[in-house]
Amino acid sequence: MSTLADSSAKGSRVRPAGYGVLRTGPAAFLVHRRAVGMGAALLVLLAAASVLYLCVGESFVSPGNVLKVLLGGTSPDELVVEELRLPRLVVALLVGLAFGVAGALVQTVARNPLASPDVIGISQGASALTVAAMTLGVTSYSVLPYLSVAGGILAAALVYLFAWRGGLHATRFVLIGIGFAIALRSVTTLFMTKGDYLVAQQAQIWMTGSLNGRGWPEAEVLGPLLLVLVPAIAWAARAQRNVSLDDDTATALGVRLGRVRLGLVGLGVVLASVATAAAGPVDFVALLAPQIARRMTRTAQIPLVSSALMGALIVVLADLLARRLFSPTELPVGVLTAAVGAPYLIWLIIRSRTVGGSS
Amino acid sequence: MPTAAATSPKAHRPIAARRLALTGVALLALLLAVLLSLAVGARAIAPSAVVDALLNGGHSDAAEVVRELRVPRTLIGLMVGAALALAGTALQGITRNPIADPGILGISQGASVAVVLAIAFAGIHSLSGYVWFAFAGAAVASVAVYAIASSGRGGATPVKLALGGAAINALLVSVTMAVLTTKASALDEFRFWQVGSIAGRGSDVVGQVWPFLLVGVVLVFSVARGLDALALGEDVAKGLGQRVATVRIVGGLGATVLTGVGVAAAGPIAFVGLAVPHIARAVVGSDHRWVLPMAALIGPVMLLVSDVVGRVVFPPSEVPAGVMTALIGVPFLVTLVRRKAVAA
Repeated sequence: MSTLADSSAKGSRVRPAGYGVLRTGPAAFLVHRRAVGMGAALLVLLAAASVLYLCVGESFVSPGNVLKVLLGGTSPDELVVEELRLPRLVVALLVGLAFGVAGALVQTVARNPLASPDVIGISQGASALTVAAMTLGVTSYSVLPYLSVAGGILAAALVYLFAWRGGLHATRFVLIGIGFAIALRSVTTLFMTKGDYLVAQQAQIWMTGSLNGRGWPEAEVLGPLLLVLVPAIAWAARAQRNVSLDDDTATALGVRLGRVRLGLVGLGVVLASVATAAAGPVDFVALLAPQIARRMTRTAQIPLVSSALMGALIVVLADLLARRLFSPTELPVGVLTAAVGAPYLIWLIIRSRTVGGSS
Repeated sequence: MPTAAATSPKAHRPIAARRLALTGVALLALLLAVLLSLAVGARAIAPSAVVDALLNGGHSDAAEVVRELRVPRTLIGLMVGAALALAGTALQGITRNPIADPGILGISQGASVAVVLAIAFAGIHSLSGYVWFAFAGAAVASVAVYAIASSGRGGATPVKLALGGAAINALLVSVTMAVLTTKASALDEFRFWQVGSIAGRGSDVVGQVWPFLLVGVVLVFSVARGLDALALGEDVAKGLGQRVATVRIVGGLGATVLTGVGVAAAGPIAFVGLAVPHIARAVVGSDHRWVLPMAALIGPVMLLVSDVVGRVVFPPSEVPAGVMTALIGVPFLVTLVRRKAVAA
């Protein structure tokens, strides 16, 4: 932070308002000061929420003991923290990060907060294929995530295909997405009525988005997948800036808009599907996180890092509440995120001047 | 004067005759759908045997199946199909919006959440008890969605209605899920009802539902002229002497009652209310005094045929009618949205 302050104090060269220069050796980066500040604040908040998540539960563990366990010390609470709560926390963090980035990417390309993966049928596509596989007897966790991804991509491709009519109109895209979301939900229900009671209950809980009983097996699939996608996300962060220019300017600057957009959306769809595979469709995180993050940082584009951190923060806090609100019964975390997200969506609809345009 | 009086009905006669003929065709299609619904299933029964069982009674297995299982199911299909189609027609007329449908707008979901709450917390298990909850839920949801969509600049555009419906849907689904996960015992009973099926409903349901259906039908038909005027635009309707607010309230009340009837009897069934009014308008034109009866004839055809198809696609088990209507309805929505007029 101090380097930032120093560089802005010099302030002699021309640079965009609100930006500072970060120098490390020969390299220099232009950074949005407020975005960096907010990112740091979110990181601190997230760390605090995570510690709280590990403390609270059936039995309370003091923060000191939690930190001791995390740093490798021995403590009587080691079992509770390390075996029960930590794996679930890791899944919650990863799922939140993935949904946050996915939402940011899709919303950037659509230039519309309403086109988030859970509104336009991507999560529903992932659910439909996964529940279908579950009722047909596929329960192995090494297969299901890939089916989810396939389902999400398939649904996105279908919506894109049917919404394309000599160009992609945001309104048409959202309407057709909603239609597909309804149809895919009924396909999911179809497979649930086919399966027996136990499978149905398992699928029902998975479908609302629950972190109950999720742990290392899910994290082991989700973590590496996200790591593999990091270079792609770094590319996306750069490409995102060009896409948010208007079409003519971007084309004039030599940006291959079509390809970049397809790449960004594709990455968003994969991330949303991967997260759906791990925790079920945790609704509205992908809608909420980028919107809140953008309002906090006040950047022109939707900030990727802040969105990711915000997504993780939302999922961790929602799951904390889901575990404790009606204890001993646990709510699926998706119920809580939907209870917050749906009113926000309503607010967006009421506030927006023209829903088709950007907001 | 006498010539004018004599010519004007003559000029209308060909249209009226054509409409009557088309109504006859729709009736025939409905009869065929009813016969199919009675004859097709896990146990195929010859149409002649179906007619015989209905007219002469008898105690053969086939006659028992027809009378005890298929007749109630078909009757419910008829009532729910007509109710949803009329509700959709009224909604599309009131909102002047081609994609209005009780399912898409979240009204069915409102009714079903109310029913779930009634089952889980008020301990109500009889249809006559929870039909009132279905009405209340449908009313609250429809008012909420319309209020959301019409606030702000631009009024209630198709996108805002659909998005408002999606938001309300998501909110209500999360409420349902919260109830079902905390009350696991209700899940097994509920999951079959939720998807929208007309199977396994007894003849007592028919007896309990028809008075409400009648009320809804009367309400909707009473505003047929008003809907015609509204189609020309709000200002023109006012100029023609229609009380726009009254038409909207009465029509909306009718649509709410009809949706409540449909949901209470069969669970939320989407897309019947979307597709049927468009088909009916394509067949008989835009006069609601013809469109409404035509929708009431075509709605049951769509639902019964969906139900029959659902019985035969995966032989031992049955696909609920609600799933089939959604699969048939989505291509319909896609074509509607791809037409320029809607995606404004």
